[in-house]
Amino acid sequence: MDIEKRIAFLTAKLRYIEDIFNGKGSESITALQETLQEVTLAYENKLPHLPALLDNADQVFTTMEATLDTKLSAMDKVRIVRHSQRICLRDILENVYDNYTEIGGKDDCNIDPSMIIARAYIKQEKGDEVINQQVMVIGHEKGHGEEYRNGGSAKPFGNAKALQYMYVAQTEGIPIHTYVFTPGAFPIEDTPGAAQQIAKNLYEMSGLTVPIIAIFSEGGSGGAEAISLADKRCMLSHGYYSVISPEGAAAIEGRVAPGERVAPEVIEQCASSLKISAYDNKSMGYIDEVIEEPPLGARPFHYDFFKALRKTVIKATNEVVLSVKLFSSFRSRALQNVDAMQEGDTFITAWKLSSRERRKLLRLRYKKFRAMASSAFVDNRTPLTRMHQFVMQRWWDFYSYITHRILLSQKRKIANILQDVNAEVAVIGKGIVSPVKKMLLLEYNTAKDTSKHNLVSLSQWDSSSNKKEWRYISDKAKEDIAVECPNAATHGCLDMWAPDLFGEFAGVCMYCGHHFPMEYQWYYHNLFDEGSILEFNQKIHAGNPLNFPNFDTRLEKAKKSTGLDSSCITFEARIDGIKVVVAMLVAPFRGGSVGAAEGEKFIRAAELAGQKGQPFIAYVHGTAGIRIQEGVNGVIQMPRCTMAVRRYIDSGGLYLVIYDTNSYAGPLASFLGCSPYQFGIHSSKIGFAGRGVIKETTGLDIPPDYHSVTNALLRGHIQGVWDRRELRNNIKQALSTFGGQDLYYR
Amino acid sequence: MEHKVLIANRGEIAIRIMLACKKLQLEFVCVYTKEDKDSSHVSLAKQLGAEKSVYRISSYHDANEILAVADESGATAIHPGYGFFAEDYRFARRITERDRKLIFIGPSWKVIRELGDKINTKRIARSLGVPTVPGSDRPIYDEAEAEHVARALFEYQKAQHIQRPIVLIKASAGGGGMGIEEISDIEVFKSVYRRIRNYALRQFKDEGVLIEQRIHGFNHLEVQIVADRSGKNPVHFGTRNCSVQSTGLQKRIEVAPGFDPETISYTFDANKVLQEITQYSLAMAREIQYDNVGTWEWIVTSRGEPYLMEVNTRIQVENGVSARIARIRGQAGVDLLEEQIRLGLGEAIGYTQEDISFEGFGIEYRIIAEDTTKRFTPWVGTITRFEWAKADWLEVFTHIPQDKAYEIPTEFDPNLALGIVWGSTLAEAKERGKAFLERLIIEGSNSKEEALCANIPFLIEKTNTLLQYTFEH
Repeated sequence: MDIEKRIAFLTAKLRYIEDIFNGKGSESITALQETLQEVTLAYENKLPHLPALLDNADQVFTTMEATLDTKLSAMDKVRIVRHSQRICLRDILENVYDNYTEIGGKDDCNIDPSMIIARAYIKQEKGDEVINQQVMVIGHEKGHGEEYRNGGSAKPFGNAKALQYMYVAQTEGIPIHTYVFTPGAFPIEDTPGAAQQIAKNLYEMSGLTVPIIAIFSEGGSGGAEAISLADKRCMLSHGYYSVISPEGAAAIEGRVAPGERVAPEVIEQCASSLKISAYDNKSMGYIDEVIEEPPLGARPFHYDFFKALRKTVIKATNEVVLSVKLFSSFRSRALQNVDAMQEGDTFITAWKLSSRERRKLLRLRYKKFRAMASSAFVDNRTPLTRMHQFVMQRWWDFYSYITHRILLSQKRKIANILQDVNAEVAVIGKGIVSPVKKMLLLEYNTAKDTSKHNLVSLSQWDSSSNKKEWRYISDKAKEDIAVECPNAATHGCLDMWAPDLFGEFAGVCMYCGHHFPMEYQWYYHNLFDEGSILEFNQKIHAGNPLNFPNFDTRLEKAKKSTGLDSSCITFEARIDGIKVVVAMLVAPFRGGSVGAAEGEKFIRAAELAGQKGQPFIAYVHGTAGIRIQEGVNGVIQMPRCTMAVRRYIDSGGLYLVIYDTNSYAGPLASFLGCSPYQFGIHSSKIGFAGRGVIKETTGLDIPPDYHSVTNALLRGHIQGVWDRRELRNNIKQALSTFGGQDLYYR
Repeated sequence: MEHKVLIANRGEIAIRIMLACKKLQLEFVCVYTKEDKDSSHVSLAKQLGAEKSVYRISSYHDANEILAVADESGATAIHPGYGFFAEDYRFARRITERDRKLIFIGPSWKVIRELGDKINTKRIARSLGVPTVPGSDRPIYDEAEAEHVARALFEYQKAQHIQRPIVLIKASAGGGGMGIEEISDIEVFKSVYRRIRNYALRQFKDEGVLIEQRIHGFNHLEVQIVADRSGKNPVHFGTRNCSVQSTGLQKRIEVAPGFDPETISYTFDANKVLQEITQYSLAMAREIQYDNVGTWEWIVTSRGEPYLMEVNTRIQVENGVSARIARIRGQAGVDLLEEQIRLGLGEAIGYTQEDISFEGFGIEYRIIAEDTTKRFTPWVGTITRFEWAKADWLEVFTHIPQDKAYEIPTEFDPNLALGIVWGSTLAEAKERGKAFLERLIIEGSNSKEEALCANIPFLIEKTNTLLQYTFEH
């Protein structure tokens, strides 16, 4: 019986090896196959030396696994993490934590079986002292081949459940351990949509005041980010963390038609050039620690590995907790040589934080992410400008601290008290404090009395300025052609003359209101007050941090054809006199994709808006998602930018997002989708993944209006649909109505 | 002149343009839709020898199709008539700026655009010192400002000793009577203003509100302006009184000139009013370099105050009645359409205001397919007989064929015919007018024939009080 088990075990091991090398024969594999064959033959013939043979085979497998481990390519590692024999979250719960209760799940009877939640504890002992360290474990569950687990692709409501229990952890004051085992989010637009929920998760996690530890095994893009914005990010040595699955990247790179298969060499090539392995990510700084796995990856029988993992998560949590404690230097130092620690812990730290420590935790978390990807873009600033900008930044920091934190808040406090006193006194007699109030100029939000309007006398008329003429007229308006509206068949629209349509009508069909796409320049020139635009950070250019093959030339081409250096333009401007800071994602530059340069510019813009106390507008002319050629350098912009935005909003800013044409994927699922005020332009498309990707990953055929702006409004992603011609007025209206008393820009 | 004019219109006006082109020895192209295949403008075009230049199109509203016809037929100019593209500056701009440029017979597109918007017209008029109805000359978006204006308007009316002051609040983007309310007390202003503003926001996506004095009773006068492409020397062809209207503000009888101070006594100096409105109109036309035929529409209050309402940048239906009384260097037989085409194609005007004189009175009757007894609701059916007694003082323009039954198309406005009579005095003109109406024969196939014939007693009744200052509105 025992022998049969051992043979089955070896057979499974061999199958695993064959699977991960995907038919690439090598001598070692042949040797293993021969060894196993010998054992099976001996077993069938009931040969006496079978136990010895088995022992030998065990030996051979162990040595061979170690040899094969050195030959693993990037794609082989992808196959490892996807293999059904790979450890899954439930194995970890069983082996790493001392006790656990799964919350809201009984196999497939679960709101989303690919996302599981467990309350667990880790028992720590030191001498007589025993403490059960409570944690909230949240993670993707791939299972061992169960179909209902969906391979760990969490649906939007799975992510919503995760967020719900993060709140619970915050209330209970216990750390969160998240385990990322996902090839990506399930790209459906439900209520909520995939992007909408991930954005919400990121936004809320950036303000979560408990330590968060993330362990990556398979980190696929947005799905991974939904639970991985953590104070400490560890990664299993055989895992991958990437912006997109290598197959997806290859499909885009190889430009294959839908339904076609990509050549395996291209996938292999993409996997290695995307630098998705644990050590690559560690060297780029996106992962703090790599947890060494046994050769060819951890499987449920690797009990030593679980022990190491347990040690690492304890250490990581301790580190995070100690980093915010006031008196911790000795313990921190002791943690440095944790490997030297034997059974039992040298000291025990309670994983609970005071309110001051919680604030510090958030500060450190922002700092950690802010520092990431700082070398992944091209910074062409001269040392002098750098110094100048540095000084200016400090000055604005100081300025905003004085004006907004100290003066304004004090002024408001006084105003509130005076208002109360005044109201009290007014009941008795006349308002006695109004002179004081006037002296302090504390009246705000009072309408101005306009001067008497003369009803019959001469008025102003200037033949050049009284009619609405767009300052910028599209090049498309120079052709003498009639343009057909795509809705002509259903709405009976007549063909329009291009100069009318793209000139006066601003690309809007005069019959049905369909919005034709317009260039970003149209918005750049027509939305803001004339001559008020002041661009900044122009010297930050998009680069090729991974040295992705052939990407340099393509980048150069994009730069040449658009005259831009990244797809993000940041500038200060005025709308009818109201000063705003704007970040614009423009579609012509590589599809408006976001990489390290774009993220950096976006964050700087948000910071500037915060320092100057001005509203921050993100205008999305179009975005295709994260720039895949930058790999994790791109995907890390999701948490980075979201944190910057969160900081800005928390400090009292107004963040307005406007979508035009097509907005998809990463940016939408993070720093754009998290805004409380998002608006779409008519006829634009808003969603997580495009039609092809949805078909490829889920097999679903989506209706044509699946991503339409009205559907985005229906599922609550955006807050309104605006007309392009009225955009300026609408923004102005929004700025004047959204700015409450506590928003500091008023 | 080597021009070929495409007539982008139908019915009576198309016929008159054709005749004018014939007189000016211009080639012309005619279009029609399937509803109009029996209309006499098509048969006349064929009679006048333009069989090859008659094109069938699917809609008079489709610019692409009309331009395709223009290119196909080699037309060099387009006459829009009235309605359809006549006041569409985009159409005018398109045909004058496209690759194969055409002449738009009408004012230049810039002029049409400036004057196409009533609010803008009011602003221009104010800036030139031309009187307009007291009130705001731009949309107001701010409630405090709106209330301020309304309050000031009440005070203004009180100062004018108007007994029942009323202020109108209307949506600036509205029209056709939608989103207009009147208040007689400032106390209710706020609630009415908010109602209108919300209505406007819902209906027109524009919160702008206009606030004006409500004029109680007024006469509707017009000044006919003619200018050449230089825009420097406009002349006027007299005034018209168009106060007889049906409920939809559809004019029914027009009289030229606008008042008759010789035989009727007015509470104000009618001569001075006529003088003022022609002078104001001319001054404004000169200032904005008006460059074709147009009409300045005025209202004259019972106190004799003229206020400019709007400018129609097109030939009007009632142009014939002004032409009928006008004499150029003493010569009768003026045709404003002929003038419009001639000037539109670039000829200089060739005469000055001193060369124009007026003689007698002209009355124009509009025979319209509507039921005068039932709040002027449209009349639908087939006309089997339409005849009138010919006379040398009478001109009748109609597109109803004389030889066969005519089914009134429901797609277009229901104008059937125009009858213009002339008399040397107002009394004579009235008598002739009545004689024309009494001898007019209309027969319809449909059982509601009487309703259509009720036009005649209605018009006769109105003829009796013509030009006497009445409070129609």
